[in-house]
Amino acid sequence: MFDNLLTVMIFGPLVTGLVLLLLPLSSAIARFAGAFVSIICALLGVKLFADFSPATSVAFHQSYPVIPSLGINYSIGVDGISILVLLVAVILIPMVFLLFKEKQKGYYANLMVAQGAMVGAIAARDVIMFYMFWEIMLLPIFFMIGLYGGERRVAATIKITVYTIAGSLLMFASIVYLAIMYQSQTGVWSFAMDSLTSLQLTGTGATLAFIGFMVAFAIKIPLFPFHTWLPDAYTEAPTGTTFVLSAIMAKIGVYAVIRFVVPVFEESFVRFALILAFSGVIGMMYCGIAALVQKDFKRMLAFSSASHMGIIALGIFCMNLQALTGTLFQIVAHATSTGVLFLLLGIIEERMETRNIDDLGGVAYRAPLFAACFAVAMLASVGLPGTSGFIGEFLIILGAIKFNILIGVLAGTTLIIGVCYMLWLFQRVFFEKQNKRTEQFRDLSLLETITIVPVILLIIFMGLYPQPFIERIKPAAEQYTLILTDRAEIADHTISETIAK
Amino acid sequence: MEQSTPYLGFIPLLPLAGALVLGLMHIATCQGKRIPDKLYGILGCIGPFIALILAVKVFFELKALDEGKRVLLQRVYNWIEVGDLKISMGFLADPLSSLMLLFVTFVGFLIHLYSIGYMAGDKNFGKFFAYLNLFLASMLLLVLGDGPVVMFVGWEGVGLCSYLLISFYSEDPANVVAGNKAFIVNRIGDLGFVLGISFLFWGIGADGFDYISLEASATNLNPTLGLTVCLLLFVGATGKSAQIPLYVWLPDAMAGPTPVSALIHAATMVTAGVYMIARFSFLYVQVPLAGEIIAWVGILTALLAAIFGMYQRDIKKILAYSTVSQLGYMFAAVGLTAYSAGIFHVFTHAFFKALLFLGAGSVIHALHHEQDIWKMGGLKKKLPVTYWTMLFGALALAGCPLFSGFFSKDEILYSALAHGHGAIWFIGLIVAGITAYYTFRMFFVVFHGKPADQSLYDKAHESPPVMTVPLVILAVGAVFAGFLNLPHLFGGHLMVSHWLSPSLVEHHPDPTLALELLAVGGSIVAFVIGVSIAYRKFGTKAQEPVYRGFHKFAENKFMVDELFGALIVTPYRYLSQGISRIIEPWVTDGPLKSMALLYRLSGLAFKVFQVGLVRVYAIYMVLGLSIMSFLLIKTLNL
Repeated sequence: MFDNLLTVMIFGPLVTGLVLLLLPLSSAIARFAGAFVSIICALLGVKLFADFSPATSVAFHQSYPVIPSLGINYSIGVDGISILVLLVAVILIPMVFLLFKEKQKGYYANLMVAQGAMVGAIAARDVIMFYMFWEIMLLPIFFMIGLYGGERRVAATIKITVYTIAGSLLMFASIVYLAIMYQSQTGVWSFAMDSLTSLQLTGTGATLAFIGFMVAFAIKIPLFPFHTWLPDAYTEAPTGTTFVLSAIMAKIGVYAVIRFVVPVFEESFVRFALILAFSGVIGMMYCGIAALVQKDFKRMLAFSSASHMGIIALGIFCMNLQALTGTLFQIVAHATSTGVLFLLLGIIEERMETRNIDDLGGVAYRAPLFAACFAVAMLASVGLPGTSGFIGEFLIILGAIKFNILIGVLAGTTLIIGVCYMLWLFQRVFFEKQNKRTEQFRDLSLLETITIVPVILLIIFMGLYPQPFIERIKPAAEQYTLILTDRAEIADHTISETIAK
Repeated sequence: MEQSTPYLGFIPLLPLAGALVLGLMHIATCQGKRIPDKLYGILGCIGPFIALILAVKVFFELKALDEGKRVLLQRVYNWIEVGDLKISMGFLADPLSSLMLLFVTFVGFLIHLYSIGYMAGDKNFGKFFAYLNLFLASMLLLVLGDGPVVMFVGWEGVGLCSYLLISFYSEDPANVVAGNKAFIVNRIGDLGFVLGISFLFWGIGADGFDYISLEASATNLNPTLGLTVCLLLFVGATGKSAQIPLYVWLPDAMAGPTPVSALIHAATMVTAGVYMIARFSFLYVQVPLAGEIIAWVGILTALLAAIFGMYQRDIKKILAYSTVSQLGYMFAAVGLTAYSAGIFHVFTHAFFKALLFLGAGSVIHALHHEQDIWKMGGLKKKLPVTYWTMLFGALALAGCPLFSGFFSKDEILYSALAHGHGAIWFIGLIVAGITAYYTFRMFFVVFHGKPADQSLYDKAHESPPVMTVPLVILAVGAVFAGFLNLPHLFGGHLMVSHWLSPSLVEHHPDPTLALELLAVGGSIVAFVIGVSIAYRKFGTKAQEPVYRGFHKFAENKFMVDELFGALIVTPYRYLSQGISRIIEPWVTDGPLKSMALLYRLSGLAFKVFQVGLVRVYAIYMVLGLSIMSFLLIKTLNL
């Protein structure tokens, strides 16, 4: 029965979403249906995670031809690179349904569609399929921000849409290039990941295609300087959508780089790694410093999230095992910590109808449980040992030092930059004096507690006992690092040969 | 050689469990019916007490082993394992960590006990004990960790608890700012720590990243990398242990409740940097240059803080600067590779400084949270137990012969002489004199003379036994702890140094009688001069002096805080504002904005042609058709 696990996890939510959209249902029913389906998916995801054995190259693999003449297949599966991203995508979504009471049914329907598309993009083993789900992912985001967002939602929607579509077009051109190259090199058409990795790509065409993919993913992550859509979109989107964007979709961008760019464009990747690494580390510093003076709670978290994404992306570009493992681990760590921060902010906004930091204060006195949950997530976000955030960040910094000392040292400054804005935020929201508004604040309700506390426990568990997660990603991470180090050695070799001549 | 000792992990685990239980109890009940303070107090003391018993057990178990084999290990599970990086959640008890373990649990337990009295009636009583337990757990993890990364968990954990406890009275923003400052400044140091261990790993970590494996492969470390690692780790130490230039957080940290100042900001956490360097003695002995830098930073910190200490009016700030100053001594010692002398001073300092802080707490408690020494005076009669115990503490700090501080400080000054660093010895001697002066300045102003504020004086009362008993116990320690390491000159056998020697890589210079006599004689003279000046000025009639010129400058702490504010904090804020107000909207977002503008402009341009009149469109049509026909004719060559 569990053979079709992934297909169920993709199309269950997709179909539910479409049905909800078309049928005239009340929003309460839509919320209930969404919660139900997403919890089922989450349970299936946990089962998948538990059953996943790192030894197999691709687990839960399924493949059916769709357009045989062009070699396009419905092909899905999970491996060490995707397992944690998948886990994150399914276990976090139920929280949005459980926590927030949005008025419209369409919101829940869109969330469902987004979830199905995200799982599809993560599980896809065929580039066309990946591209399709990648595009479907954008639609619900577009509607959720545009229809249910804040005051300046239209501008934010246009910005994110233009940015993402521009990226998508470049990616599509690159995909076509890949397919043509494959056809010319082997004589058959194929879009399967496993065959495209065998391509020998050199020359300007390859570089351009590499840039096409990289820009598309850099926008999604987002990587400096393609991040400018993020503060607006994150701030104007309904909190549930911000949560999906920051906790999951950004990670799919990182995942896509590892999945598609690294094995296909090894050569260009090695060549551009240093620039990309700088882009990651500068983005971390830039957004982290900008976060300090934000007056809007959500905007500050948006910058914080962008800052951390810089470090996460950096881990890919360092091209060693520690950094790559750190990135894959940090995908979960960051999703849980930033996700919880956004959700708790959403609760504050729902109850006190403000996101202005200066209007808050003394929340900890009325709501100690709420404050404790926020504190744990915040500490994970600043990478305190004992939480999941430390493991990932430490591995990435460690790897970055090996890759390039300057980048390693700059990456290390995240330790300082993070606490500067976070502690100041914490002071003004949770400490200091209460005011009329915050005196009314209720602590977490029972439902909210059982929704959030498990994630808090996961954050601590992953900090104290990360090995179950690391073990599952290890073989795949080793394999991917090997691809790059081989390539880097070849490059070094050629350089030294050229110098010798 | 290695023995697995299944109970080592319980030592940090018990206070951790206590913290969890207390924290949950507090969260569950702080809105509704209160749990009696007594229950919190008892629960809070259980963890530290059992940890103390286990620490004693560890000590005797080690003692029973042969001298060269005094190592107890427990590897609980594989913590992080990625490629060559293999870190286990492991604990290591050897002579060095067991000594730390003993006094941390002992002083920790006493301060928990004392807090029951000091914090009585506070609305966050439960939270306080939860944090205190969490602190102890982190500190024990720091001490017991079997490698640098496990140590770092404790290292950051104590930093977190320090932050939480400094901002404990969080309604006042000033306290929270002090907490933030402590956390951020510590984080600057921690960056050094993380980079240091990263370099260390890429240097020699592949064969195991715990102290034992690292020590075995330490000689393989290349010298440049070794120097880098040693200095980066020392940056970490300057943060946690408040050395130049990162000492600025410690005086502000006095915003926390006084037992916190005693436990965290005097006896235990702030000495973590000294412990870390002693732990890595196998690296530092290979890099004499790093040691020299550490020794100089240490002794200059000692001098600077001692100067500031002379002018403070807040009783806790005097003690805080004195702590910074004493920590400077310890770094001077470990920098000169006299690790056992440094650790011994950590040990005695824990007793007498905790005692002084708790005594100050007792005074503050009696005076309803008055901390200004110029509003005290004549308290000797009102607070006899506090008076006598604090006298012992002050004598120990000031380095009165035969008190604990005398022996440990003398050992450091002697080491400076023996290693041929006359300048460091001389500065150390001056600091000793200043220390004696400001200690007794505080002591005389608080307890002698006439009450400065009669109404405060009248309401003063001696603290309850739960507070005074720890004072008495610590006083005994402050008096006698020094005899544990009695040098040969006084007929002793340097027991502590001997005990520590298997854990440390150090070279004892051969003792020469002349140098020992010079060191001892100098210390005694410095003590006598310092105390007599203090007595002459404040002994009988204390009057608040008015500071001018250099004295004023010193009272303002050489404006270092203002300088850091102007050089770092303000520019950082401006940078942040510049990025979010100018660079973000106009530079990074520029391409997108200009693209939008281009679209709009071209839209305007084309709008001119779209006038909406049929006859104009007819003209366009005719024009277009003629051009097309023209081109057609051209291409077809008709």
